[in-house]
Amino acid sequence: MRITGWSGGLAAAGLLLAGCGGGPGGGGGAISDGGVTLAVLNDQSGIYADTSGRSSIEAVKMAVDDYKAKYGDKAVATKIEVTGADHQNKPEIANSKAQELYDRQHADVILDVPTSSAALAVATVAKNKKKVFIDVGAASTELEGKSCNKYTFHYGYNSYMLAHGTGTEVTKAGAKNWYIVYPDYAFGQDMTKTFSAAIKGAGGSVVGSDPTPFPNDNFSTFLLKAPGLDPKPQVLGTMHAGGDLVNLVKQYNEYKLRDKNVTLAIGLLLLSDIHSLGPDALAGTRYTTMWTWNFDEKTRAWADRFQAKLNKRPTANMAANYSAALQYLEAVQRAGTDNADKVVAQLEGQKVEDMFVRNGTIRAQDHLLLHDSYLAEVKGSADVKEPYDYEKVLNTIPAAEAFQPQPDPACKL
Amino acid sequence: MLQQAFNGLVGGSFYALLALGLAVIFGMLGVVNLAHGAFYMLGAFGAFIALDAFGLNFWVALVLVPLLLGVAGAVLERLFVRRLTPLDPLYNFLFTFGLALILQDLVRREYGVNSQPYPRPPELAGTVDLGLFTYPAYQVFVLAVSALMCVAVWVVLTRTRVGMIVRAATERPELTRALGIDVGRWVTPVFGFGIALAAFAGVLAAPMRAVNPLMGADLIITVFAVVVIGGLGSVFGSVAAGFAVGLVSALGNLYVPALSQITVFILMAAVLLWRPAGLFGREEAYR
Amino acid sequence: MILSRLARSGRGGIVLLVLGLLAALVLPWLIYPPVALDIACWALFAAAVDLLLGFTGLLSFGHAAFWGGSAYCTGLIVLHGGMPFPVAIIGGALFAALLALPIGLLSVRLTGIYFAMVTLAFAQMIYFVANQWRDVTGGENGLQGIPREFLGLDLSDPFFFYYAGLPFVLAGLFAAWRIVRSPFGRVLVSIRDNPARARALGYPVERYRLLAFVLSAALAGTAGGVFAIGHGFAALDGLYWTTSGQVVMMVILGGIGTLWGGAIGAAIVVQLQDFLATAGFEGVGIVTGSIFIVIVLLFRRGIWGTARHLLISRRQADPPVSPAAGAAEEPVESPEPAPAPASPHPAGD
Repeated sequence: MRITGWSGGLAAAGLLLAGCGGGPGGGGGAISDGGVTLAVLNDQSGIYADTSGRSSIEAVKMAVDDYKAKYGDKAVATKIEVTGADHQNKPEIANSKAQELYDRQHADVILDVPTSSAALAVATVAKNKKKVFIDVGAASTELEGKSCNKYTFHYGYNSYMLAHGTGTEVTKAGAKNWYIVYPDYAFGQDMTKTFSAAIKGAGGSVVGSDPTPFPNDNFSTFLLKAPGLDPKPQVLGTMHAGGDLVNLVKQYNEYKLRDKNVTLAIGLLLLSDIHSLGPDALAGTRYTTMWTWNFDEKTRAWADRFQAKLNKRPTANMAANYSAALQYLEAVQRAGTDNADKVVAQLEGQKVEDMFVRNGTIRAQDHLLLHDSYLAEVKGSADVKEPYDYEKVLNTIPAAEAFQPQPDPACKL
Repeated sequence: MLQQAFNGLVGGSFYALLALGLAVIFGMLGVVNLAHGAFYMLGAFGAFIALDAFGLNFWVALVLVPLLLGVAGAVLERLFVRRLTPLDPLYNFLFTFGLALILQDLVRREYGVNSQPYPRPPELAGTVDLGLFTYPAYQVFVLAVSALMCVAVWVVLTRTRVGMIVRAATERPELTRALGIDVGRWVTPVFGFGIALAAFAGVLAAPMRAVNPLMGADLIITVFAVVVIGGLGSVFGSVAAGFAVGLVSALGNLYVPALSQITVFILMAAVLLWRPAGLFGREEAYR
Repeated sequence: MILSRLARSGRGGIVLLVLGLLAALVLPWLIYPPVALDIACWALFAAAVDLLLGFTGLLSFGHAAFWGGSAYCTGLIVLHGGMPFPVAIIGGALFAALLALPIGLLSVRLTGIYFAMVTLAFAQMIYFVANQWRDVTGGENGLQGIPREFLGLDLSDPFFFYYAGLPFVLAGLFAAWRIVRSPFGRVLVSIRDNPARARALGYPVERYRLLAFVLSAALAGTAGGVFAIGHGFAALDGLYWTTSGQVVMMVILGGIGTLWGGAIGAAIVVQLQDFLATAGFEGVGIVTGSIFIVIVLLFRRGIWGTARHLLISRRQADPPVSPAAGAAEEPVESPEPAPAPASPHPAGD
């Protein structure tokens, strides 16, 4: 009778939840509900579990430690809690959980939330509940476009940054002709549009672009087509991610396109992708990233702390969650309260600088964090000095150029 | 164009191997194995683990992994599937669905969702000149081996006594039983064999596709469409439809990329309209 | 004991009905209101699937197409048509029924496992279409920010919206109940039990199945529409095949052919997911997969079915009760889910 066991547990959980009712506290005291609660809502059991997942909760706890260490007795937030929830990549669970986190767990801020449909749903909840939401995990520019709102911030990266960085920089470096393949869904379509604009802006041209089925495990059609195009493309740009990307790169190597002088540029490449393909499969591939752990002293110091705690190297998303939590707490410190409106006022237009963010500003008009991003290249295995040391930063894309230069007019806060 | 067609056939080899396994299992037991994709995934992971943990190369894995998983499949049949086969076939469908969820999640917990690295066997790293065009050696190998495998299965099915029984039981189950042939004896080995075929396809896929826990989940639905097109009861139909679907989707990718994701389903709808039992299925297979 | 006496008295149905209604009314007081609404929606969805599985003998593994399709349609009607949400939900249900027509036409000629595979494949096709057609569906961002006022009332509080959405769910459940009790429903059951005989009796078997399929889709669409309004968005996830799997799981958990069992299954599954979200256990698939296996291997009647079976056997064991009580058992709600004896060969029938 396994079922009764389950339902018993559920009933108990339900009672517990019901026990702690009550609405959001007023703005009377400096800190409402007895403390500040940071909630990490992300995918802990599905395809994004390794990119962020529970490790991001640990990263956020590191931010809390740093905040406490920095302010000590002067800290406005004395009691800080970090909680997490798994949205299982289902937007409806993200939606209900976000409401519950704000209402019942008294979360003052929700962090992370990958999967754009889930992120947009949580943004709506934040707007209705008038509570802060800092999205790290989703790439959709809609968060700072038509779905933007006063309480939602987009922190770290977006599809514009990924596409624009690589498209512009690689074209400027001399690769004028591009062939782009992209997965046929919104992310891929957006990326391709931005990529193409960037390439043309930098004086290059897109000789062809093809959507591929999603998910797909056979890219040979496109790989065979690439060298035969006229004019012959110098770069194959791909907007795929995850398993599709791995498939595509494996087949890119099968068809020996690199030997045919068609280099590879990737829209979204994560540390974990390089690890699974092996650096040699990708050596020389260029892409844009928001952060890499082996960038300088500051990032390495943090990555070492992280490794001491979790026995692995952090992904950029984990670092971004750390930074977002830290900047939220700093804003609480400046505001002297966790009142959402006052914290939002502190975040808007704020200059940000930490181990993750360089030359950062939170743009007041659309709540998008502008910061330096990096054009990186995958090292060959001969240059890899330690595990996960795969990325070499070629150049820094300044904050002003990395993200949308103007706020989307569709965004009305 | 010819090259693209060749491509489609390589992609089709996986469909064919998986559909073949599904077809023999279905024929023998009346079970549609929803966990077939999960066993394909386990095959690929088996190859990865063999190399990573035991240093066994691709060739060893290609033999060993399907054998092991085939045995596991046979055990599974003995322990669970057997108890459900006398009931409505839907119960086994649901059972294998649950099994697929568990297998995927177990692998995910152990290895994460990111793809695992698996190199091509060095013997097949180069390209082959096929006269009209050059082609990656490994892909040629995949096509050749799958075709050989399908032919071998076909020969066993048509030329040996065991094969006759299995085929008879697959295509005319009632009649075979009515003739007093003891079909029961062959049920477990056939189930194991079907699983082994899926695992074999998985090992073949490891060097050219992303090895991750979800690699079988989406593929299996396409394979369902393949089996429906070929005719659920038909061994030959499954193989033929597998290669045909591979061909059609490769050409679809080339000429109508916007429809590429749904070509196989459109094909399925068309076949259903025209021949509800599938291209090679017999009318009795449905009612 | 009380239950068994109730069952004996023949008024059990009414009492259970009152209890069920009461439970539906107090649910948002007991659990978190958005979760309560989810349970209500999934309960109707499960009943819709059970109408097909338990009473027509067809396992649809593609009902996500109707649930998700209606969610999109409902959302579009509110967003672009500016209609009040009740109109939109009805529109969504109609859309689901329309969608079910061609899919049904192609699939009802098949049965059993064949039917399940074909519906699964069609639903996956709808998923791909929605994924690609982003001008309308928003792609993987989904349709966001679907408002839910009605006649100037602000229903943004999920607690109040629960009561706005509940009537649709109850109406849907009532419709499902009426359908299985109607002469039409009896024909469906006889087709399920022995299609050859039904055909011989002159019933156009395919047409009956098609109608059941379309009705079931309309009910699933109603549930999907309420769900979309309740959450304020429609997402691709609702069209994905795991959604179809989840609703089938609810049905077998509650008990195939019980109609109300699905509500219990829905309550358990939704609560379980909610619980797992914060339990810190990263194995949602292991848990749901195990439930599937345990149910299928050990108690195929499901929870409701098992409870009813126990009640009935107790009733039959009790001599003082008149034998008529046994006959009073609803003829349509046959306790054995989709019985096997009638299927001599694998294709299902």
